[in-house]
Amino acid sequence: MNISCFSTSKYMGKKVQGKFKIIKLFSTYGKFGIIVILFMLFIGIVSILFMGNSYKIPSGRSLEAPSLVHLLGTDDLGIDLLAQICHGAVVSILVGFCSAALAGIGGSIFGILSGYYGGWMDKLVMGICDTLMVIPQLPLMIILGALFGPSIKNIVLVIALLSWSRPARIVRSKVLSMRHERYITASQSYGAGFLHLVVKHFLPGVFPIMMVSVIGTISHAIRAEASLSFLGLGDPTSKSWGVILNRSINFKGIYFTDYWKWWVMAPLSMLILLVLSISFVSRDMEKVANKKL
Amino acid sequence: MEGSILKIENLSVSYTHEQVLAVRDFTLAIKPGESVGLIGESGSGKSSLALAIMGLLQNRAEVHGRVWFKDIELTGLMEQELNDYRWSRIAIVFQNSLDVLNPVMTVGEQIGEVLRRHRGIKGMAARERMEELLSMVGLEPYWLKSYPHQLSGGMRQKVLIAMAFSCEPEVLLVDEPTMAIDAIAKDEIVKLLLRLKEEKRCSLLVISHELPVISAMTSRMLVMYSGNIVEEGETKEVLNNPLHPYTRGLIYASPSINPYRDMWGIPGEHGPIGSKQCSFFSRCNQSIDRCAQENPPLQLVCKGRRVACSRGGIVTLLRGKAIDKSYMVKERRIVACSSCDIEVKMGEVTALVGQSGSGKTTIAEILAGIIKADAGEVVFENKEVCGNKETSRTGGIQIVFQDPLSSTNESFTVEEIVREPLDIIRWYTKKEREQSVRDALKNVQLPYDNIFLKRHGFTLSGGQRQRVAIARALVMKPKLLIADEISAMLDPSTTANLLRLLKGLQVREGFAMLYISHDLALVQKIADKIYVMCNGRIIEHGSIGDVLRCPKEEYTKILLRSASINT
Repeated sequence: MNISCFSTSKYMGKKVQGKFKIIKLFSTYGKFGIIVILFMLFIGIVSILFMGNSYKIPSGRSLEAPSLVHLLGTDDLGIDLLAQICHGAVVSILVGFCSAALAGIGGSIFGILSGYYGGWMDKLVMGICDTLMVIPQLPLMIILGALFGPSIKNIVLVIALLSWSRPARIVRSKVLSMRHERYITASQSYGAGFLHLVVKHFLPGVFPIMMVSVIGTISHAIRAEASLSFLGLGDPTSKSWGVILNRSINFKGIYFTDYWKWWVMAPLSMLILLVLSISFVSRDMEKVANKKL
Repeated sequence: MEGSILKIENLSVSYTHEQVLAVRDFTLAIKPGESVGLIGESGSGKSSLALAIMGLLQNRAEVHGRVWFKDIELTGLMEQELNDYRWSRIAIVFQNSLDVLNPVMTVGEQIGEVLRRHRGIKGMAARERMEELLSMVGLEPYWLKSYPHQLSGGMRQKVLIAMAFSCEPEVLLVDEPTMAIDAIAKDEIVKLLLRLKEEKRCSLLVISHELPVISAMTSRMLVMYSGNIVEEGETKEVLNNPLHPYTRGLIYASPSINPYRDMWGIPGEHGPIGSKQCSFFSRCNQSIDRCAQENPPLQLVCKGRRVACSRGGIVTLLRGKAIDKSYMVKERRIVACSSCDIEVKMGEVTALVGQSGSGKTTIAEILAGIIKADAGEVVFENKEVCGNKETSRTGGIQIVFQDPLSSTNESFTVEEIVREPLDIIRWYTKKEREQSVRDALKNVQLPYDNIFLKRHGFTLSGGQRQRVAIARALVMKPKLLIADEISAMLDPSTTANLLRLLKGLQVREGFAMLYISHDLALVQKIADKIYVMCNGRIIEHGSIGDVLRCPKEEYTKILLRSASINT
């Protein structure tokens, strides 16, 4: 088994190398999206490495307008907004990627199982998927968020729990169509077990379209985290963009002052920018993936 | 045997200086008026046998065993006494060549010498007798004055026959009567010999390597290989249903038996003669360990048929008995195959022919164990086929599918595709697997360098991918290859290349093949046996020559007619 695992990782490595080549095929929007995502990652890393605790410790007067000292001004507690935004990027990206990865992995497992085995397994998994799809996500998320209590970990779990159905459906349909390919029949006739088929055939086959769906889930997860936080169900100590927005909106009479121009606009535009960029990338990925499929 | 005119017991001939056993333990009894054929490739010891029977080998080789003419044991006689029987009782028509006749004597002088020596006829009587003999074989009397080099090959043969009949023998040995002469002359000689045999009521032992000659002239035949008799039986039965792989190989190498089929000789070289193993061991495609240890004696397998094979003749590799399968499609029962019997013998190409939707693929998949039959059983090498038991081992069954694009995973590299079965069954080490992959690719005439091995499936053409799929089946060294419409999606040139390749491989490696197709024109080029399938039933089967020459079922006739649209 070790050998096959090894060769799979090698195989996926090849795919990833291929992905970088794929970027060349992207449209201008897609390339722009990649740059923005890289930029967000960069400021996140900068925040972790160099900014220390400046995102939660006041460093100036409250509600300062943007200046050379505080590039984006300060909030009502006098905490630097730039530091908060940079830190928020970490939270958003972390939540987005973690929950998308969880949803992708879980979805793939369930998709492969239901697609390969069919029968009651398929009915069960697809039943859960359908149920999850018809329930309005946000209210369910609010309830689950309130139930589990506010923490980043819980938010990731809740989002993953609610968004695995899309990758699962996609993976299932792909596995269903692959299962009737002759090379699977041939493989089975040589005595290949489920594990061999998954590792050698299904996963590599499913990988490109799963990636597309996972990237879509990232932007969905970021939005969901922001919505939950905005509604006050997020982790108040996390200082994610949603939490910043929540605080600023709840500042009484914010729209009668100029404060919204930096306090509301900064996290909001970052959020929009990131979600938009991911959407661009996702759209281009889908195009490229479809061409190869 | 009582009443036999010529009886040979345990005759062995060995050329001592060459350490070669040319004939081993030959036993035969010829009844009066019977004609027996002896067939074998060049060098199998046929001529040595004839010469030994005639007692013409005494000085050149060591001859053991006994030869009886009626009640007289010829082998015990002195040279002088033997001469009384030679020519006058037993005559031989020598293999036709220029040096059989003395080049400086006329034809008349040479026939006259025989008459004078053995019959004491001289002068005018001899002259009359000679003219009579010549006209008997269809030559004008004036040829008596000519020298051998002035005659054509066919005429020389006739002179040799005339010489052999000059003393009216009771037994005639005919050694390669039709060698190196053209088809019309051949036919003439065969007819002449048959006519003379009837007229003179003599017994014949016809030695030839040409099946049509044996089939036209004899009622019983023996097959000789490396000095051993490997099969014996009625000529017709032997030709219709050979039991020894060697006999089958000879038949398949004769275009006159089935003119449609491509010719393929028996692959391989003679093994060391005189060693302990079966004489055909080195070229046999169904040999087992036992074959390397003993040279099997001729044994009776069924009435009038004897065969020298440790496995009792050609083995039936796969047998499907009363296979039923039906599918439910929207509450409607669709019968894919019903009580189908099918048999594939070792080293044979069996074709399964029928329209699309006649159930061919279903039966192929049942035979390979991919799908389960509703009823009936499939037996491979005396073991029942269930699931992937036979396909997941080397030396078992392999199946190649119709669609080359679907049968291999296009994102795999060529090496990964071909190596996959070996990886799954964990066959030896990685290095050996790689070598095996290269060998298989070489066998299907694909490049086997590193660059090709690293190419992905989707960069190959359909024909290449089908060959890769065949290579994948071949790395498992199957005894039976099921090829399901493998050429249906390829263009004619690619098909021709692929099929010739596959047939060549089949002949060389000796595996059996079940070739499934709707194309009769293709099938008749490569198949040995044919099964015709219609609406889930096997309606006709038999050897390809018989079925195509005179199909019994209307459906087969329709198939045949539609296969020859252009003619």
